[in-house]
Amino acid sequence: MYKKLAREELYGFFESLKKMGEVYAPVSIGGSSYDFKKVSSPNEADLTYTRTMIPPKKFFVKTKEKIFDFDEEKAKFREPKEEEGITVVLGIHPCDIHAVKLLDKVYMDETPDKYYVERRENTVLVGVDCHPDENCFCKSTGTSYVADGFDLFLHEISGGYFVRVGSERGYQIIEGNKNLFKDAEAKDAEEFRLNEKKRQAEFKLDLNVLGLQDMLDMSYDNPVWKETADECLGCGTCNLTCPTCRCYDVVDNVGLDLKTGERVRRWDSCMLRKHGLVAGGLNFRPTRVERLLNRFNCKGSLREGMLNCVGCGRCTVYCPADIDFVEIMKKVRGEL
Amino acid sequence: MERNNVLVPSPAKIVKIESMTDIEKLIELEFVDKDFAKNFIYEPGQFVEVSVMGVGEAPVSICAARKKEDILELCVRRVGKVTNAIHRLNVGDLLWVRGPYGNNFPMKNMEGKNLLLVGGGLGIAPLRGVLQHALVNREKYGEITVLYGVRCYTSMLFRDEFLQLFYDGDKENVKFLLSYEDSADQACYELECERNDRCLSGVVTKLFQLTEAAPDNTYAVICGPPIMYKFVVRELLQRNFDPRHIYMTLERRMKCGVGKCGHCIVGSGTSIRYVCKDGPVFTYWDAMNTKGMI
Repeated sequence: MYKKLAREELYGFFESLKKMGEVYAPVSIGGSSYDFKKVSSPNEADLTYTRTMIPPKKFFVKTKEKIFDFDEEKAKFREPKEEEGITVVLGIHPCDIHAVKLLDKVYMDETPDKYYVERRENTVLVGVDCHPDENCFCKSTGTSYVADGFDLFLHEISGGYFVRVGSERGYQIIEGNKNLFKDAEAKDAEEFRLNEKKRQAEFKLDLNVLGLQDMLDMSYDNPVWKETADECLGCGTCNLTCPTCRCYDVVDNVGLDLKTGERVRRWDSCMLRKHGLVAGGLNFRPTRVERLLNRFNCKGSLREGMLNCVGCGRCTVYCPADIDFVEIMKKVRGEL
Repeated sequence: MERNNVLVPSPAKIVKIESMTDIEKLIELEFVDKDFAKNFIYEPGQFVEVSVMGVGEAPVSICAARKKEDILELCVRRVGKVTNAIHRLNVGDLLWVRGPYGNNFPMKNMEGKNLLLVGGGLGIAPLRGVLQHALVNREKYGEITVLYGVRCYTSMLFRDEFLQLFYDGDKENVKFLLSYEDSADQACYELECERNDRCLSGVVTKLFQLTEAAPDNTYAVICGPPIMYKFVVRELLQRNFDPRHIYMTLERRMKCGVGKCGHCIVGSGTSIRYVCKDGPVFTYWDAMNTKGMI
């Protein structure tokens, strides 16, 4: 279903989202960086942003979250209460929606993770289209356009937005705000089509991902891993900014009474030394070479046909050692 | 809506602790929650996540075949934070268990076949489940050969049990061979003097000198320290074992056990696998197609 939202109705639309729950939108945090922050007015948000530093995975897999409280003496557990209310993520890009769909495969389709599922159900995703910069290669990964996985998707056209409805909940938002949304006319659809065509032609960066899995297999001994490892600081920034990286670590924190405490999980990074370390001191990925190899192979692999990289460019943009993801993959392919 | 939370463990009371060596204890657990116990059905090769509250959680393989529904046997080596904490506990204390996780040794597929079990050190623990299952269902399996490599006599796990098999295994068509790495070990040397067709000094692969290990109709099952696999596999391949008939179980860091936390990932582009959910039991065929697995 296709609708149109006039630009002057954006405020009304925002107010209606605010009535549903807390609204998060991309906000400039200095330099060329953005972050999804809670906003109270559309003026605080910048919907023409490039990419946020921290991807939207933070809404579903928290940077740090309690799994449960325990009381050792009474042998009891208490799971944290389900978070109440709806979170609205306004302005999520197609690549990031694809990333959420990938996380869904991991956290919902197979031994569902209670906390993830709850959050996913309590989150409304409103997508917005974007223009690629020099680090975007989502066209190559097939994630520059998203057909589902969102509630509403806004495409900028003259005078407002061409709106795609992606879910029943999205439709309910439209229903509840009939005065804001008009039916899209043929000329709006035509403009959307034209814009999409133009947008797809804007991509400068290209990475051939066909057969990347085999290319990686065959490059296991490629000198590129050693060369890159020499540059790499092993800081794990690439993992934290990656919208599909989902490794987590678990720790117990004990209270001062030594009887009660909490079990917490937090984002982990496969680029850190301890990631492959088992008790007794054996490390299955002992040096940065193995760790880099593992990360790039993981990103280049498929999960039920979906590439584990959505081409958002974050790891390249935020790497303090200027390691270029696409450049390495091209070396792996023998193109550089 | 009430949802099942896979990350919450179930309490289990320690009913028996047996010190097997300086660093390994056999711990028998009884589930407190009887409904949980009823549904806790496991096969040899699977593992559990065991918690000591306030210390953490660690993956431990189940070292016995399922006999009584509410009893779980774990062989725990004191090696890290959690296992050290487990060693400090006494009978009556609580441990917390999630699982069972992972796949298992294909006991059904192996029916009618000879079994060749190769274990090194603590690696014998998950193989004990296979052995017990085969002994209980003795008529379903052919000849059973066990190659067990230890450092010395005092580091031998399940000593009484295995020594009985060592001496009297023939009655059940079980050939139990023992190798010991510390050539100065007196007790093992005496065993060797007594039965030099069953015991020798050296690494576990040396035991292939004492047995024919014919590939026909035989499944090999391996578990031991990571370094051991490629040497055992080499022996087996030299004897023309089918890579698909060589089973092994792997160790990795596992925080979740359900294919999410990512620590146990192995492989490359075409073959990324989670050891916790796609394994821990793999065939050598899998290893041939998964870089970095062994």
